[in-house]
Amino acid sequence: MAKPTEREVIELCGAVGAILLINGAETARVESTAEYIGQAAGVTVSCHATMTAVFVSAAADPATHLVKVRTGDFNLQKVDDINTLSRRFVAGQIDFATLQAGVTRIQAKVIDFTWPQKLLGAGVVGVAPMLLFKATWGDLAWAFVVGIAGYVAAAWTGRHSTTPYIAPGGGGLIIGLLATALQLLGLATSADNIIISALMPLVPGIALTNSLREIIGKHTISGLVRAVDAVMVAGAIGGGVVIGSGLIRALGVL
Amino acid sequence: MPIVVTWLIHFVVAFASTVGFGVITNVPRRTLLPAGFTGALAWLVYVLVSSQTASPIAPNLLAAIVIGLLANLFAIVVRAPVNLLYIPCLVSLVPGALIYMSMKDFTLGRDNAAQQGLVKTLTIAIALAVGFVIAEAIFNPLRPTLTRWVRRHAKE
Repeated sequence: MAKPTEREVIELCGAVGAILLINGAETARVESTAEYIGQAAGVTVSCHATMTAVFVSAAADPATHLVKVRTGDFNLQKVDDINTLSRRFVAGQIDFATLQAGVTRIQAKVIDFTWPQKLLGAGVVGVAPMLLFKATWGDLAWAFVVGIAGYVAAAWTGRHSTTPYIAPGGGGLIIGLLATALQLLGLATSADNIIISALMPLVPGIALTNSLREIIGKHTISGLVRAVDAVMVAGAIGGGVVIGSGLIRALGVL
Repeated sequence: MPIVVTWLIHFVVAFASTVGFGVITNVPRRTLLPAGFTGALAWLVYVLVSSQTASPIAPNLLAAIVIGLLANLFAIVVRAPVNLLYIPCLVSLVPGALIYMSMKDFTLGRDNAAQQGLVKTLTIAIALAVGFVIAEAIFNPLRPTLTRWVRRHAKE
């Protein structure tokens, strides 16, 4: 087996780091995976990841490889696939060429649950345990439906627009519209409870908690970027909901 | 309603939430059940502790410790990065609704409520993050022993 060149190793580490980062791995894992792979391939690399970019550099060489990343929806399946692959490589079970081929395959592969499964998922996430004995059962049932609608709206907006933060805003808008309409029509008791519950799939709570975990883990820059991003997403959702319920209330007045 | 039924409802809904979020974030199928179980158990701890105290710190901290310990254990059993279990389990605990409400208050010009909400959001998020740190501090020294134990039993 031909020994991989330093350039190839750095390039592959960059690709691996980018896949991990895009699909929702935390920065510490991105960095350590890239460094393990480099070490196992015989090149000492250091990797630095923030939420927006991965840098990979060989210790012996001034060259640095920079991959810009735009984080999107989580796809943790890909994180798992890369993890399994890199573990096998580090353990010496597969060679460098197989690893390269595997990474390219994972990059291109669309791994996903089916849409009906995801819709059902969004629906049950929309029934928040937080509200179990605070909201009425009828409202929680509506939250299931509205949660699905909001999730679909966010996914649809995200697919048709590249404007940042417009997707969660669109989801919030639809949720605000539907929940307020349900209350005005007398079908639901509390629009607020439905909104809070149905927003669960969209709100950036996990991002915020992960950002604090990163800050505690001394990945300060990445953590701060993530926190600001979470606040922006929450702002977009809040704005969307306010506009949505405002529209319906205006209609109701007429 | 008898207390057992209340708990059962909490468990089932929290389980469904966790699994549902796992589906949205595309976790591998083999982690769905362990994550659901961990998330539901952590939610029960949260409910139990928050009925005893008014502060949001203790319930979130303890629930995060439960998630941290169980998720790390399951991560060894199903051989997956622990983050794949953390993310779905957190969905019911995380202050997502709170951060939304404070941003909504900002939009509506209710600045005082917004600031209070943001501070509370931060408090909860810090409590959760510190809970994970504590859980990992407890778990890491045990990891080699547990890994060996799990692997031996997996082979038999």
